[in-house]
Amino acid sequence: MLSLYSIVRTAIVHGIESVPVYVEADVSDGLPMFEMVGLLSAEVREAKERVRTALRNLGHTLPARRITINLYPAYVKKSGSSYDLPIAVAVLAAMGVIRAELLDRLLIIGEIGLNGDIQPIHGVLPLVAQAREQGIERCMVPSGNETEAALAEQIQILPVAHLRNVIHILNTEEFENKEERAVPKEPEEKSCLDFSDIHGQHFVKRACEVAVSGMHHMLMIGPPGAGKTMVAKRIPSILPALTRAEQLELSKIYSVCGLLDNQSALLTERPFRCPHHTISPQGLSGGGSVPKPGEISLAHKGVLFLDELTEFRHETLEILRQPLEEHQIRLVRISGAYTFPADFMLVCAMNPCSCGYYPDRERCNCSPAMLERYTKKISRPLLDRIDICVEARQMEYRELTGEQKQEESSETIRERVAVAQERQRHRFRGTELCYNSRIPAADLEKYCSLTEKEKKYMEHIYEKMGLTARTYHKILKVARTLADMEDQTDIGMNHLSEAICYRSADRQYREGAV
Amino acid sequence: MKYEYWFAAVAGIGLAKRMRLLELFGSAKQLYHTEEKELLKTGVDSETVTLLIQSRQKWQLDKEWEKLEERHIHMVTVEQGYYPRKLSRIAAAPYALFYKGALPDEEQKTLAIVGARNCSEYGRYLATEIGAAAARAGLQVISGMALGIDGAGHSGAIREHGITHAVLGCGVDCCYPRQNRSLYEALCLHGGVLSEFVPGTPPLPQFFPRRNRIISGLSDVVVVVEARERSGSLITADYALEQGKDVYAVPGRVGEQLSAGCNRLIRQGAGIVISIEDFFKELQVAGISQPPEQLPAKKILEKDACLVYSVMDLQPKSISELVEKTGLQVDRVCSILIGLENVKMIREVSHSFYVRSEMFSE
Repeated sequence: MLSLYSIVRTAIVHGIESVPVYVEADVSDGLPMFEMVGLLSAEVREAKERVRTALRNLGHTLPARRITINLYPAYVKKSGSSYDLPIAVAVLAAMGVIRAELLDRLLIIGEIGLNGDIQPIHGVLPLVAQAREQGIERCMVPSGNETEAALAEQIQILPVAHLRNVIHILNTEEFENKEERAVPKEPEEKSCLDFSDIHGQHFVKRACEVAVSGMHHMLMIGPPGAGKTMVAKRIPSILPALTRAEQLELSKIYSVCGLLDNQSALLTERPFRCPHHTISPQGLSGGGSVPKPGEISLAHKGVLFLDELTEFRHETLEILRQPLEEHQIRLVRISGAYTFPADFMLVCAMNPCSCGYYPDRERCNCSPAMLERYTKKISRPLLDRIDICVEARQMEYRELTGEQKQEESSETIRERVAVAQERQRHRFRGTELCYNSRIPAADLEKYCSLTEKEKKYMEHIYEKMGLTARTYHKILKVARTLADMEDQTDIGMNHLSEAICYRSADRQYREGAV
Repeated sequence: MKYEYWFAAVAGIGLAKRMRLLELFGSAKQLYHTEEKELLKTGVDSETVTLLIQSRQKWQLDKEWEKLEERHIHMVTVEQGYYPRKLSRIAAAPYALFYKGALPDEEQKTLAIVGARNCSEYGRYLATEIGAAAARAGLQVISGMALGIDGAGHSGAIREHGITHAVLGCGVDCCYPRQNRSLYEALCLHGGVLSEFVPGTPPLPQFFPRRNRIISGLSDVVVVVEARERSGSLITADYALEQGKDVYAVPGRVGEQLSAGCNRLIRQGAGIVISIEDFFKELQVAGISQPPEQLPAKKILEKDACLVYSVMDLQPKSISELVEKTGLQVDRVCSILIGLENVKMIREVSHSFYVRSEMFSE
């Protein structure tokens, strides 16, 4: 008897991209056996049992012949549960149950239950999006992933809920007619966090607006209960809306992590991630033998908020150094090198000392040594990457309850931010830069030039305050943003002095020097 | 001197016993050369004899003395003429003093400035100014080189090129607390660093109360700037009273922990510092000059700056508090603050916290 052969196209997630994988099935004479090869991990090997049982439950008992399954390219380590369906389809095609010629230009992914149900999987969006780019016409996905898959436009999605549907669709070519697509629902309610909820705190609010306008990283120092977290949670509400491309990129990251909601699959809001301070370095950067994105990638295009910065483990914070410079993280594992985007705005919060009330000596009784130990927990290199540092303070009762004027809404602030950012984009056109915070030191002269008067002023301040070169650069960048916010071409004195007040705590605790 | 150094370095012998041994044998040299049998005969207890014999065997007289000289550490014992007379009059005067720099000038009046380590900005400011004013008045300043008030008193005197001495609770070769390294070096140039402990002694908590008797002993007047109840500064004040020195305290608000010790001293009859000028007038020291730099009068400030300034006081105020209280724009407040700091009317004491820097003008 002739040997029967079939090939099915599927794919594997690699980082947040995908790599095509082909499943070959061969049914030939020989001792009855079911063998799978092609650098498979344990969960892929288990597919054999799931497929065999699911097929038998459908009435397609495997023939008592030699069945060989090969997944290639063989150098790619295959892991995950998305191979069940392609393997089942390949076997069915090789057995002659479904027509093999239809499998050309069709991507199949999905996990199978023992009764033949198709279960949703993680990472559908990157797989489908990549398939479209490779010119594949159709994608067969678990119906639980339909909305997510539909985000990749210009490709036909065939949602399947049961193995029976699969056989039916492939044999009757019914998919040719299926035109209607699942439309992702618009998110019903937008996040209700708004800056108008915060009374007073004008200094911190202003600092947030400056930070967002120039995408500067920010540190808030203040006693417990000063509203640091409350402010931080509202920062995404003043970030400009995500573009469609950004939404897709972000949704891909969440898809790989299995965090997409099938009801409204596309992420339209800027993420806000606030990992607990016990998080491991791998949790922050992304990890695993086949790495999954970590918190810094989940905060891509949004805000990464590190509350109680001093409580984070030292080696966890050190992870942030490279992503803060390159806006992506590269992880090298035995299975290959993975790059995840990590272009986030860092917002940190900490107490001024271990009791939280310094310099209010009526309440704070921390010794100078304790103060020093507390601030030393944060590494210099990390502080160096934070441009804006402000103190938040506890509100007085009067400010909380007294007659309140209407506070500005996030929407109003967001409009101003958009204008300031547009101005920056205009200035940086033709370069890779897009925000003031990203100006390299070499280009400062070009973008943040000062006039004679301002130069004199800064020279005076530089010497008097004993600034470092790095602090000086930070002041210039923040002043540039402040000028942009006022639509000024030149940096003025008021911009510089405000920027000086935002500079990070270079000389925070001077008691050391008496 | 090498014999005296050996005698001072013998561990395990208390001050009283050391003085008695000295009385018995006349000098350290004599003691060093006395045989074991002789020692026992004179009625010295066997434990002490063992200690003496052991240390004699280990101690290399010449080498140790050379090491001391190499480190520019000087030594004076009660037997010598230049041992501070003020100190020799107190109970439990130390047998030897080790010092870097110089000893206090006996002809000059000396003011001790002591107080809390975790002091407020107000206390730090006041201690600095008292130190500076003392230096201008030709007084020597003595204190313990601790963080906070002590260090501020020293640095005030150094600022005005005065003479100031520190008494340490460890060997003089050891800079404790280490944050005061630069102050330690400045002290060696502008006065001296003293200790009754043998060089190399680590700073142990039990040493600090003892050194306070030397601080008060070397001074004529002790001023306590900020002290909690049961603070080390009160030990200094107690010693000072025992030794018959004048004690002054800076008053604080009722209920303020940092001033509770000072207020108690006042209750017990200590002098009150109501202003720096008044304090020095009371000390009857002539020649107190005005602060060198005249502060600009408040009147010449423009309206907004005047508003910001009026909201501030000697307690640190944060920028955000100033923004809320004045109702001005953030950039306006920042420009004003930097302007005011430039003319030295205010100071930034901690990141974005400011205080007024003058207190006696107006």
